[in-house]
Amino acid sequence: MRRTLQRAVLIVLAGFALGLAANAVSPRGIPWITPPKKVMEAKDTIPLPEAQALWEAGDGFFLDARRPEDFAAGHIAGAFNLPAHSFDAHFQEVAPMLSPDAKIVVYCDGVECELSHQLAGSLREQGFTDVRVLINGWTEWRRAGLATLTEGAQ
Amino acid sequence: MRLADESRNSWVILLIRWIVGGAFIVAGVLKIFDPAQFSTSIGNYRVLPHELNNLVAITLPWVEVIAGLALVGGLWPRSAAFVITGMTTLFAVLILSALARGLNITCGCFGTVGGTNVGLQNLAIDSTLLVMAGFLSWRLKG
Repeated sequence: MRRTLQRAVLIVLAGFALGLAANAVSPRGIPWITPPKKVMEAKDTIPLPEAQALWEAGDGFFLDARRPEDFAAGHIAGAFNLPAHSFDAHFQEVAPMLSPDAKIVVYCDGVECELSHQLAGSLREQGFTDVRVLINGWTEWRRAGLATLTEGAQ
Repeated sequence: MRLADESRNSWVILLIRWIVGGAFIVAGVLKIFDPAQFSTSIGNYRVLPHELNNLVAITLPWVEVIAGLALVGGLWPRSAAFVITGMTTLFAVLILSALARGLNITCGCFGTVGGTNVGLQNLAIDSTLLVMAGFLSWRLKG
């Protein structure tokens, strides 16, 4: 039993060592210590009242970063679904409606939700300059009693 | 009779070794291809200090592959089963904690394959592997 455990530790150490070695020679290698996260700047987010004003003026383009199931269950009225996890597969569906300087508001649900930030990053990579995250968007929007839609209707 | 039972058992054990080992090799290799992505996946769980995500992303997939190869190849298979039992247990705890906190994140378990949110399906796959690896830890010699 003791020897089995020792060998188990050896397996873990071997994996550890090989991982470090492979990382050192791989073109996809990354630093051992994760670089600090880019701090989110205030200009990258949009407060709810401002998002509401954009929405009422019909000036903003709202994109829902959540899964299609979540989107179907309820979303901000007029928003389109562009799931952050399958950006490449769905981008072409919304791309024709967007100009590079479109005022884009992205949201998901929950203060901790990363999807909207991922989607915002992907959109900026595509050259869109005015992309802002409505933090905890779905919850905040509903809490404020603003217009929503479920399945089907856009 | 006794002999027949033993040989049937050994076939079952061999099959389970291949399934569990194979799953770990696949899971490891998929993550090795994109360590930066895997680091992000780890970070999304918000369990480790941010600085450590990369180190785990660099090493964990290789531990999976080595343990998987050992189990499939029959080199120290019981030790490999121990390692895999430990990892699947840890993964189960992480998936459960993500579900409990309602995190809207991908599993990261098999790289970006099946890029859906972490959920009961991931937990089911992990638990199945956990039970199999636990069985091997108990039955294998060495």
